[in-house]
Amino acid sequence: MNTLMKLAAVALLAGVVGTSWSEEAPKGDAASGQRIYMAAGCFTCHGRVGQGGNFNFATPSLAHTVWPVEALRAFLRVGLNDMPAFSKEVLTDQQVADLHAFLQSLPGSRSPADFKLLNQ
Amino acid sequence: MASSQDESSGIDRRNFLRGVTLTGAAALTAPVVPAAAQTTADNTAANRTPPLPNLQAETQPPTADPVVQTSSGGDFMAEVLNALGIEYLAMNCASSFRGLHEAVLNHTNNKPEILTCPHEEIATSMAQGYAKIEGKPMGVICHGTVGLQHATMALYNSWCDRVPVYAMIGNIVEADKRAPGAEWVHSAIDPAALVRDFVKWDDQPASLQHFAESAVRAHKISLTPPMGPVLLSLDAELQENPIRDRNALRIPKITNVIPPVADGRGLEEAARMLAAAEHPVIVVDRMARSSAGMQALVELAETLQCAVVDQVGRLNFPSRHPLNQTWRRAAVLGQADVILAIEMNDLWGTLNFFADRIERTSHPFYKNNTKIITLGSRDLYMKANYQDFGRFNDVDLAIAGDGESSLPLLTERVKAFARSGRKSVFADRGKTLAQAHSATLEQLKTQATIGWDASPITTARLCAELYAQIKNDDWSLVGSAIRVNWPLQLWNFDKTYRWNGSSGGAGIGYNAPASAGAALANKKHGRLTVALQGDGDLMFVPSTLWTAAHHKIPILYVVHNNRAYHQEYMYLQAMAARHQRGLDKAHVGTTITNPNVDYATVAKGFGVHGEGPVTDPRELAGALSRALAVVRRGEPALVDVVTDPR
Repeated sequence: MNTLMKLAAVALLAGVVGTSWSEEAPKGDAASGQRIYMAAGCFTCHGRVGQGGNFNFATPSLAHTVWPVEALRAFLRVGLNDMPAFSKEVLTDQQVADLHAFLQSLPGSRSPADFKLLNQ
Repeated sequence: MASSQDESSGIDRRNFLRGVTLTGAAALTAPVVPAAAQTTADNTAANRTPPLPNLQAETQPPTADPVVQTSSGGDFMAEVLNALGIEYLAMNCASSFRGLHEAVLNHTNNKPEILTCPHEEIATSMAQGYAKIEGKPMGVICHGTVGLQHATMALYNSWCDRVPVYAMIGNIVEADKRAPGAEWVHSAIDPAALVRDFVKWDDQPASLQHFAESAVRAHKISLTPPMGPVLLSLDAELQENPIRDRNALRIPKITNVIPPVADGRGLEEAARMLAAAEHPVIVVDRMARSSAGMQALVELAETLQCAVVDQVGRLNFPSRHPLNQTWRRAAVLGQADVILAIEMNDLWGTLNFFADRIERTSHPFYKNNTKIITLGSRDLYMKANYQDFGRFNDVDLAIAGDGESSLPLLTERVKAFARSGRKSVFADRGKTLAQAHSATLEQLKTQATIGWDASPITTARLCAELYAQIKNDDWSLVGSAIRVNWPLQLWNFDKTYRWNGSSGGAGIGYNAPASAGAALANKKHGRLTVALQGDGDLMFVPSTLWTAAHHKIPILYVVHNNRAYHQEYMYLQAMAARHQRGLDKAHVGTTITNPNVDYATVAKGFGVHGEGPVTDPRELAGALSRALAVVRRGEPALVDVVTDPR
C-alpha cells in the first residue's frame, strides 16, 4: 500500500469514525479556497498547484483530488505522520470546503508520454 | 591582516632569531629602555605630563637586525605539500600563515595552486566538494583562531560526510614572540581544541622534521576509511625562519593505507544468508568512491537479483538500473528477510519509520525476524560528543571493513552459494523488481506533469529542462537544494561522479562552495558541472561566485529560488497548526522576500554570467542554453529560476 493509499484509508476511516457522514458539508468556493491554500501554507508542502513535494516524507499531490470533502476534512483534523492536524480553531469546516473546491479545480496529472522532456 | 603593532615594535620583533643569514651585521648595543617604561605608577598631576624623549633610543644606530634570509621553513612545508600531491591550497589570506603563503608563491611557484576565497567556510567547503570528485584531499589554510572559527561548520560537514580535508592554520606558539595586538588574539595554546570533536587527527609540529612526519601522517589518516578531515597547526616562526640545514630534513615515504577488506569468515556468513534469503535487500549510503565501487555493487545485486536502496550519500548504484528500488524503500524493507547495509551512517534512520508528532513515535519498516548485516568502516572510528552516528539499531552480523574493497570478495562468495539451484528463484525475483521499478518511475513521471506550465516553475519542470540540455555531455551534478529527488527520478545517473552526495552535517552554506570545489575537480576531466543551488544557501556564501569567476571554474548554478528557508517555513507552519494559534505568520523569519533577491544581478556583480530571474517555464530553455554556452567555454554562470517550494 503506497503512502497516498494509506493517507486515503486513514482519512476515510477517520471520516467514518470521527465525523458523521450525514453531516451536511458546507458548499465550497474555489477562489476562497485558493486564498486559504496560500495563506494557511498548504502550498509549502503540497505545491502551489497541488503537485506534491517532499518534507520528511513525500508530500502527496492534491491536484484534482478524488477525495470527498468529508474525507479531506476528517484527515485534516487528525493529520498523518509529519502532516500536522488542523483543528477547527485554525481551519473551519467552511474553509475546508473551500479548500476542497480549490483542489478539485486544479488540473490533475497527464500522461507522461505526451511530454518529450519526461522521456529522455 | 598585519597588526599595526608590527611596525612600531621593531626592536623585539619575533623574526630577530636564530639561524639567519646576516648582511652587514652590526655590533649589538645595550638594551634600550622603552620610553613607556620610564614612567612611574605615581599618577599625580605632575607626573601626567608627557615623558621626555628617550634620547638613547632615538639617536643610537639600529640594532643588528637581519634583513634578508635565503630560505624559510615555509619552503620546506610547501615541498611537503607538493610531495603529498596536494593540487590546491584554498585560503583567505592571513598573517599567521604569511610565511607558508609566500613560500608557496615564490619557492614552489604557486604549487599547490592558491585558491582565493572570501571566507574560510568557502575554502573548506570547496575542499569537501573537490575531494568527493577527485578522491584526494585539497589543502586549506586558515588564520589562527578566527579563521578556524569561520571554517568550523564546513569541517563539521566534512566530518559527517566522511570526506578527507587537509586543513592547516597559522599560530604563534611562543608567547614572547607575539607582537602586541592581533598576534595575541590570533594565537592559542591548543587551537585545534575548537574542532577536535570533528577532525580525525591534529598536531602542532615543533620542528620542520616534525612537520614533515605529521604532514604525511595526517594525509594518511585522512584517506584511511572512514575518511575525514585533519588539522595541522603551523607555528609562524617555523614557517618564516630560515632553515638551518635542509640536508638534515627529509620527507617520509608517502604510503597510503590500503583500505581494509572485511574478514573472510564474516563475508562467508553474509553470503550464505543473502543467497538463502527470499527477499534480500541492500541499503547503501557512502560506499562508492570510484567506478569500481559502483560496478562491484551492480555485480552483487545482479548476482542476487535483489533490491537496492541507495541513500545517495554517494552515487552507489545506477538510477535506472531495474533493481534500483530507492523510491520503494518502505515496501522492499517491509518484505525483506535479510538486509545488507553497506557503509551506512544512520542505519536506524534508514530502516525505521519516525513521525515528528507531539508524541514522537517510531517503528521498524522491517519484520521482527528480518536479519540485518552491516558492512562498513563506520564502526572502526567514532567520537562521542556530536551525535552524527544516529540511533543504535539491532544488527545480526556486523562486519568491519571497507565497503568498496570488500564487495568483490562478498560477491564471489555469494556466487559460490548461489550455484545450488537458486538461480531461477533469483531471476524471478529480479523480474518482479524490474516491473516495480518501471511502474514507480512511470508514476513519478506522471506526478511531474502536474503544474507543468505553472509559474513559479515546478522543480520537476526545472529538472526536466536542465537535463535536456546536459544529457549529451559528460555531466556531473554536484549540489542539490531539492533533495536530488527529481534528478534521480528523471535523469540517468550511471557513473559515480554524476552525483557526489550532500553536505553530511546539513550545514547551510555548503552547496555553493562545495559545488565550486567539485567543479574544479571535474574541470581537468572535461566534465560539465551543474549545481541546483538553494537561494538560502547562496545567501550564506554569495562570494563563492567571485572565487568561481576569479579562478575560471566552469560550473552552472541553477538557483532553485523559492524565496525561503523553505524547510523551516514548513516546520513553522506545522508548529502553528499544532498550537492552534493561527496559520498566517509562518512566513515571518523564514522567507527571503521584500525585497526579492535578484541573483542574476548578484552574479554579475561578482563577474559571473547571470540569467534571470526566470519565472516563465517557456523561457527556461533559452536561459539555460545561454548560460551553458558560457560554462562550456570554461567559465561559471548562474540562472536564477523562481520556483515552487519543493
